[in-house]
Amino acid sequence: MHLWDTMPFLLIIFTVLTAFITPMFARWKRSVCPYITIVAVTVTFIISCILAYRVFGGEIMHYHVGNWPPPWGIEIFVDELASMMLLLLTGCSMLIILFSIKSLPKEIPPAATGWYYTLFLLTLTAMMGMVITNDLFNLYVMVEVTGMGAVGMVIAKGEKRSTEAALRYLMLATLGSGFLLFGIGFIYQVTGNLNIPYIAVELAAVREQYPYLMWATLSFITVGLGVKSALFPLHIWLPDAHSSAPSPSSAILSGLVVKVYIVSLLRIYAQVFGFEVFLDSYMRYLILLLATLAILGGSLFAFVQLELKRRLAYSTVAQIGYIFLGIGLGTVWGLTAALLHIIIHAFMKICLFLSAGAIYYQTGRKKVTHFSGLGYQMPVTMAAFTVASLSMVGIPLFGGFITKYGLAMGSLEANNPYFIILIVLSGLLNAAYYFPILWQAYFTSGHDVKMTMDKVPFTMLLPIVLMAIGIIYMGIFPGGPLSFIERVVIRVIL
Amino acid sequence: MGNYPYFISIILFCLGCLCILTQHNLIKKVIGINIMETGIFLFYVAVGNIRGGVAPIYDPSLPEGILYINPLPSALMLTGIVVSFSVTAFALAIIVKLYNFYGTVYAPDIMRMR
Repeated sequence: MHLWDTMPFLLIIFTVLTAFITPMFARWKRSVCPYITIVAVTVTFIISCILAYRVFGGEIMHYHVGNWPPPWGIEIFVDELASMMLLLLTGCSMLIILFSIKSLPKEIPPAATGWYYTLFLLTLTAMMGMVITNDLFNLYVMVEVTGMGAVGMVIAKGEKRSTEAALRYLMLATLGSGFLLFGIGFIYQVTGNLNIPYIAVELAAVREQYPYLMWATLSFITVGLGVKSALFPLHIWLPDAHSSAPSPSSAILSGLVVKVYIVSLLRIYAQVFGFEVFLDSYMRYLILLLATLAILGGSLFAFVQLELKRRLAYSTVAQIGYIFLGIGLGTVWGLTAALLHIIIHAFMKICLFLSAGAIYYQTGRKKVTHFSGLGYQMPVTMAAFTVASLSMVGIPLFGGFITKYGLAMGSLEANNPYFIILIVLSGLLNAAYYFPILWQAYFTSGHDVKMTMDKVPFTMLLPIVLMAIGIIYMGIFPGGPLSFIERVVIRVIL
Repeated sequence: MGNYPYFISIILFCLGCLCILTQHNLIKKVIGINIMETGIFLFYVAVGNIRGGVAPIYDPSLPEGILYINPLPSALMLTGIVVSFSVTAFALAIIVKLYNFYGTVYAPDIMRMR
């Protein structure tokens, strides 16, 4: 087998090996760990660029682990959706690690540094594996590894609050993966396969015979992955876990980890059950209802939080609602908006959480009521923060507007124009909790303030600024990404 | 009544879920995780089993036409057991840490002390 064809496997194995090397280097010298990690993630980023180039050139990549052919062996499979997510995961992780070089020593105990990067790389690997695997049991294992890695990244701080949040996260994550495993068991019982295309063939033949079992399976898998992706009433672990973690962890948890579960869920809906089956089932209405509740409830809860990171965490709950709304609408525009929002929300949330980390690094402030004059003390960080907030609200020229437009078009396509009211209302709610922060930072400090540059290291500013530029690029030139994602939707999902 | 392992597995799963969600003692919550996962393991192993089947190893002394059970679900559950074991270990380690902070493993007390 040629080296080119083993690339999807190299992607995973490389980060796993690096994950276990970093603690050894930490015994020698702690400060080299982030650099080793960033080199590893850059290599995976380059590999995923090559994969994306080949996949969008029209080639779908299959790799059989251990040379066992599909019905029995594990198959790794890179299609358009997977290569899009690989680019997002590796690119964003690269910037987060760049940020963590200087910020992490201030947030976690020094002895934990080496192991922190192990957890980071394991989580990243498992997320990539979850995206590219074509085997349901393998998916479960990857879900479990991601969950454990994410809990580890929360607890790395070693404080009372993060320990408590981590335990709750672990309990609910385990409950969720239990539901997922049971759902996969049902599928295995009916079809006798674990490989997704084989299941799809079998399931299409026997679906009519077992309607109740199909309902049960769909519900179990939706609940299982819904707990992990913080769909509204199942989100109770998220605010504590995301707000008490160190800033780089919050960024990766909020920006990437919850999205990967949604992509897996979407893949199961589309490729295991068939997307039209999902659209005909009651599950679609349940998801639309829960997404509506998430958008309203998440925003209202965010409104009453005074601590910046908690407010951002509740905002994640609301934004997850947008993604599920797009999936529930089930039209081309709706799904395009959902996938685009996965990308844009990753940019926005990473930008916001990293800005929160930078603000804490320079001033030690956490409450939004203490942000007076911050716009003059940290102009670059606050400018990026402003860009991300405006994008969250959905002002034109910023990325968030494109998804809101896409969702509105999707609800028109689905003959359900009431959701436009919801989208406008949620934009207003977002404004109600983001604009006070900006007001506090820029307009409440009197007239005699001097403008100074941020006293934050360059490696921390660069990721924040790059994310903000990404948001603006998505807002002004949405054509490229949109046609890219539309192709993903048409080829993979519909 | 030939399907009773499935019923038992569903009962165990529900008991485990109830235990995780309603128990206040953190150790009991961890026990709940284990009960839930045991229910799932039982389900998988029952899926693979055939009444009267033998282990899928070729033995010339066995009569012709004998049934072999499906070994794949049992093999999958080995992975499941490992995952369950590591989750249990991790959860107990976190509980030890919480005990060092608060001096109790009773969740309402921890909430009150916060």
